[in-house]
Amino acid sequence: MTHTEQGAIFPADGGVKEGILDFLKQALSKGCFDAVLIPAKAPGGDSFAHLLIRDESLLQDALPICPVMPVQGAKALSSLTRLGKGDKRIAAVIRPCELRATVELFKLGQVDLENICLITTDCPGALPLADWVKDPKKAEEVFSEILKGGAGESLRPVCQVCDKFSATGAEDLHIGTLGTKSGSILLIPGSPKGKDVLDGIGLPVVGDISQWQETMSRLTEVRRGKREQAQKELGASVSGLDNLLDIFINCINCHNCMRVCPICYCRQCFFDSNNMKFEFEDYLKRAEMAGGLRLPPETLLFHIGRMLHMSLSCVSCGACEDACPTSIPVAQVFSLVADRNQKAFEYTPGRSLDESPPLRVYGEKEFEEVEQSHAEASAKREGQDA
Amino acid sequence: MPRPPPNGRGKMPKLLRLNRRAEEGVRELLSRLLESGKIDGVLTLVRTGRNGVLTYSLITNSDLLEEAVPLAPLMPANAAKLLSRLTLVEPAGRPIAVVVRPCELRALTELTKLNQGSLDNLLLISSTCAGVYPLEIAVDGNIEEKLPQYWEAAKKGEIPADIRSACASCVHLVPYNADMTVNLFGNEDVDEQCVIYLNTDKGEQFAAAIATEVIEGEVESEVIEGLRNKREAQKKKLFDEISVEGLHAQKVFDKCIGCRGCSKVCPVCYCHVCLFDSGGDEHDSRYYETELEKMGYVPVLPNTVFYQLVRLFHVSTSCVGCGLCADVCPVNIPLSVVSLKTSESVQKAFDYLPGRDIEEGLPLVTFEPEEFAAPAE
Repeated sequence: MTHTEQGAIFPADGGVKEGILDFLKQALSKGCFDAVLIPAKAPGGDSFAHLLIRDESLLQDALPICPVMPVQGAKALSSLTRLGKGDKRIAAVIRPCELRATVELFKLGQVDLENICLITTDCPGALPLADWVKDPKKAEEVFSEILKGGAGESLRPVCQVCDKFSATGAEDLHIGTLGTKSGSILLIPGSPKGKDVLDGIGLPVVGDISQWQETMSRLTEVRRGKREQAQKELGASVSGLDNLLDIFINCINCHNCMRVCPICYCRQCFFDSNNMKFEFEDYLKRAEMAGGLRLPPETLLFHIGRMLHMSLSCVSCGACEDACPTSIPVAQVFSLVADRNQKAFEYTPGRSLDESPPLRVYGEKEFEEVEQSHAEASAKREGQDA
Repeated sequence: MPRPPPNGRGKMPKLLRLNRRAEEGVRELLSRLLESGKIDGVLTLVRTGRNGVLTYSLITNSDLLEEAVPLAPLMPANAAKLLSRLTLVEPAGRPIAVVVRPCELRALTELTKLNQGSLDNLLLISSTCAGVYPLEIAVDGNIEEKLPQYWEAAKKGEIPADIRSACASCVHLVPYNADMTVNLFGNEDVDEQCVIYLNTDKGEQFAAAIATEVIEGEVESEVIEGLRNKREAQKKKLFDEISVEGLHAQKVFDKCIGCRGCSKVCPVCYCHVCLFDSGGDEHDSRYYETELEKMGYVPVLPNTVFYQLVRLFHVSTSCVGCGLCADVCPVNIPLSVVSLKTSESVQKAFDYLPGRDIEEGLPLVTFEPEEFAAPAE
């Protein structure tokens, strides 16, 4: 962890949520920032949305740790700053996976972070959006169990095996809530911007964070094991074209997964473009080749294309799976592929703002084994042709 | 009350009776047409993949028709959208038969008027429609066990339990503009007999390929009228339950997460680039700062409710109430009811029923010198 070895201890006698909100209110009133971007109950009262809040009093209804993730926070930040930064200094309270997606979007030029202070919290995970939609009251009860450390099996599958649920190193300020002394939270600065906030409200950064760090390392190890296990099982059932077809056969081509994905930022997807519109005869000939053509066509190709386009930046946030109307385990499949691809490039998306995306970095001696087998294959082909 | 479907000929339609279960009869018809070379392909629902998932397919090999389930009560996509995709660049150069639901046929008619597809070379086969189940039922694999009760209800002209609310409240259960209509209602022998009405000359010509016995008959019946009344009552109930007037819309659309699945699956939302993807919906920091000053807070993403309102407005004259929008909504907004409620009032004002007649001009491109001169009551 790139953080300082110390943090500020902030009182949270009323609970973690109240502690975080107290801190935000203080910082707002001291002018450390002008507004806070944070999930809150939407005005209608039965849904959550990211609100940009200026008034301290309105922060009362905010939920720094929200039971569901209806919109990925990075997407919200992109909407807020894609056309350029404003005059206001904004604190964004987001989940670690939202932070990681934000960092990727920053590298891709889709978000401006100059006036943004990124604040993350230890993340307990989120419930499937469908569960909450079906029965909000029950979902809130389950989530309060989760906050107490139980009901882990009710979390979204990707959250159950998430091993990056705490500080990742790219945030300006991290709020430690797990493994802290009860009645307090830890405010751990990750950048001068974050340190300024703590200075602004006169909080000395002198608290020992080693106990929290130990808890995080322990939990991370447990989760890493679970992730490996889950991916091993899933890997066996999705490898190969037939298995992939089985998994994605329910796809109805609604592109919800692409729409809610924080990384899929193209204004117009290739698969919605004229490049994918063909003449009638073309479709009929394709049907004749196999006896039949599934419609809409190219659904599996869409997923493979999307995987190829975004998997190096995929942060396993699970938004795609939440939005799938036919319950395809999109996020689980994508994060499996993403982990493997990222490992091949030794790249962890969202780890650091300074790390370039792999496809922008030229390595003269990269993937020689791939090059080698390709060269051999083509030499063989040429030999056959001759 | 909707007008009876025009058959354009002013004479009693002929009908074809096949001694097969309805679905087998349709399959037999398709197979004979394909094998005789009268058509080169069939668009129909098919069981695909190792798990037999229901999807639309364009079938060219008659052996594969064994997997066809043309009357299965599911709509994994609106077939009009698929046919638009097939015929957008150029009309079908060879004849194919398509087996689609009445609402899909209506949407196809609208898309044709909007220059998003072509009916050329399409043999339009439809059926009186008992409705379809929500997509999630199919995903759970429970559709098979529902089938007996579904067909039982159809026989009696009742609304099957658990079908989508869009279907339970749909009064356009008899297809408009179909060349052939398979009747499923009030046919006590639906398990043994397939009755296909031949509404057009084209339908008759194609049927000649297999016709053994053609008699005359009218698809409309007391059973169908009774079912229409039940659905009309159901529709009224649904409309009364949901209020979208004025600021109520805010509450209805509050949950929207901006995935735009509703637009992507909507057959009549055909824009190549939606206004809301065009950059037209992007706000710069000034917008956020002004709103912040005014209200003390501002939602980010800001346009979810606005998007829904504009979509309602854009689809209102052509919405056929197919219900797919509601089916794909990850947060269960009752989009189909909302859309149908608003669309019907617009369509009524223009005395227009989308998909009724290919010759009927779209209201917004039809100039009437004396239209809406006085404010509506």
